[in-house]
Amino acid sequence: MKQVQSIVLAVYNFFVGDPIILTGVLAFFVIVGLLAHAMNASAGLGAGIVLIVGVILSLGLSLYRETQPKKK
Amino acid sequence: MHVILFAPDWVAGSASFLASAVEFVEALTIVLVVGLTINWRSSLLGAALAAGALAIIVAVFGVSLVKFVPIEVLRLIVGVILVMFGLKWLKKALLRYSGRKALHDEEAIYEEEQAALRARGELNTQKIDTFGVVTSFKSVLLEGLEVAFIVITFGLAGNGPLAKTSHAAQVAQANSLISAVIGAVLAGALVISAGALVRAPLARVPENTLKFIVGIMLTSFGTFWGGEGLGINWPLSDLILLPIIAVYLVTSFVTVQMLRVPGKPQAAKPAAQG
Repeated sequence: MKQVQSIVLAVYNFFVGDPIILTGVLAFFVIVGLLAHAMNASAGLGAGIVLIVGVILSLGLSLYRETQPKKK
Repeated sequence: MHVILFAPDWVAGSASFLASAVEFVEALTIVLVVGLTINWRSSLLGAALAAGALAIIVAVFGVSLVKFVPIEVLRLIVGVILVMFGLKWLKKALLRYSGRKALHDEEAIYEEEQAALRARGELNTQKIDTFGVVTSFKSVLLEGLEVAFIVITFGLAGNGPLAKTSHAAQVAQANSLISAVIGAVLAGALVISAGALVRAPLARVPENTLKFIVGIMLTSFGTFWGGEGLGINWPLSDLILLPIIAVYLVTSFVTVQMLRVPGKPQAAKPAAQG
């Protein structure tokens, strides 16, 4: 069990290593997926803009957390 | 019988080249330390074993992913992972540009690793040294995995789906993968030649700039491919990548200005990873 945990952790650290980026990007991909599904085949620039804004927001939040003084 | 002509995919090739250059510089530092401190046989054996392992990873995953995963699903998964991976690189680069994180210093890492090996009592002999082989293998494999990931993703999600027929798509995909591999090999050859010439860590390579450029490319292509995987019909087709890149570039420059610590010099000290 410990080995599985360490493998999952290593994969997570390799690809992301940041919980805000992980949840932010996944959440916006789900939102845009639902949006695209609701708009059928016509999902265009609007859905794309939502995705880009989501990516920027995730980066911004992660940087904000990184630059805040750490609580002891 | 089909004749397949190789047409380079410049995007896959250049992304792979830039990312590989950064990772090769980092791996070279450790290979140099092991070579000079223990011996070259152990160091080069470890590096060669790792290069072989990486080639197998690219071949196995590259071929099996193309064969078994539908391209729409592949693009969505690749897009999501590329965005996360790109943001990870971009975040580090922005923190370093703004002076909030120390710049990667290959010379300092080199000195630190050399001191650690000497402290272990490693001596320069001609015998194959297991510790030296493992140290060299680990560093090349770990740094190379990121390159392998970029080569596979850019190789597979490249031009293929834009092609009109399934044969044309296969040819385009093969071209992208070959271009990505060529980019990585060229970067490796360049960095290894430079390292062999100077026999010292390549401290003057603008690692942060390369990391920033690759971070922007990965995030932009990830957004584009991920969006296509979700069913977004981007206007202007793949030309939409230019405004996406521009948006991320402008955001990055604004972010660096906002994060910049006034009057604080960008101190360079060892940073173990990335």
